[in-house]
Amino acid sequence: MAGIKALVGLSFSGAIGLTFLLLGCALEQYGVYWPLFVLIFYILSPIPTFISRRLSDDSDAASNACRELACFFTTGIVVSAFGLPIILARVALIQWGACGLVMAGNAVIFLTILGFFLVFGGGDDFSWEQW
Amino acid sequence: MCLLLFNPGPFPFTFQLSTMSGFLDSVRCGDCECNVDWGERRNTMASIAAGVLFFTGWWIIIDAAVKYPDEAVFHHAYHTCGVIATVAFLMINAVSNGQVRGDSYSEGCIGQTGARVWLFIGFMLAFGSLIASMWILFGGFVVPKKPVVYPGIAVFFQNAFIFFGGLVFKFGRTEDLWQ
Repeated sequence: MAGIKALVGLSFSGAIGLTFLLLGCALEQYGVYWPLFVLIFYILSPIPTFISRRLSDDSDAASNACRELACFFTTGIVVSAFGLPIILARVALIQWGACGLVMAGNAVIFLTILGFFLVFGGGDDFSWEQW
Repeated sequence: MCLLLFNPGPFPFTFQLSTMSGFLDSVRCGDCECNVDWGERRNTMASIAAGVLFFTGWWIIIDAAVKYPDEAVFHHAYHTCGVIATVAFLMINAVSNGQVRGDSYSEGCIGQTGARVWLFIGFMLAFGSLIASMWILFGGFVVPKKPVVYPGIAVFFQNAFIFFGGLVFKFGRTEDLWQ
């Protein structure tokens, strides 16, 4: 276990990412809350990896294929989280400045989630008792 | 980093040298012990690239559909092309190369011949949807000189991205367990 410092650092960067997202919604010149829909993508993004780790009992070709499929879907969710603000800005539901803030928040949050997996998720016996 | 301390003593002035450690001193570059096996990495990179291509294709068509919701500007039947391309993607990647060659452990539900037929139909649908998207772009938008061509371009790029995403996912990954 990597310890408390990593946990605090990751939670700080998570807070920064959510701050960017909320700034994109709540600043006076923006004022619309449509960008909060990317929260769905934040929550969905670790799920394929969890499922594939749960299902892979041994390291044979089948579990590799499962892991690659999970990687494919995770990439899709990340791309979607970046695509949604762009589309919202293109139809002028939100402004481009808000779009930029949301995308910055996206980048920080996904790096945080990746950091969680690198720091806490490693090891062959990924079990729920780690928590 | 060194700090020169000025010693206010009698003439001549004497200087004391003291070192302060810089905050970057303990950073080592290239020392990352990520045990990366490039053989294993290739599959992950191919999956990521395929995911980016496939989902970018779909977001392009979503963008066109949101921008031009009018049926007269963007006929809704053109969405069929992307749906068929997605079905083809799923068909192509449902069978492994080993099942087609016949050297996998289990025969699967439909056997080796069945796997070949499935893959054949999958590739035909993939090529067909790519050709159809070009037809839609030129026959539906460019030749009739429609005022807005962007939906046609979006259909074409959606299908091109899905097609290449399928190719990357199919052929970019290796099934060799030992290299």
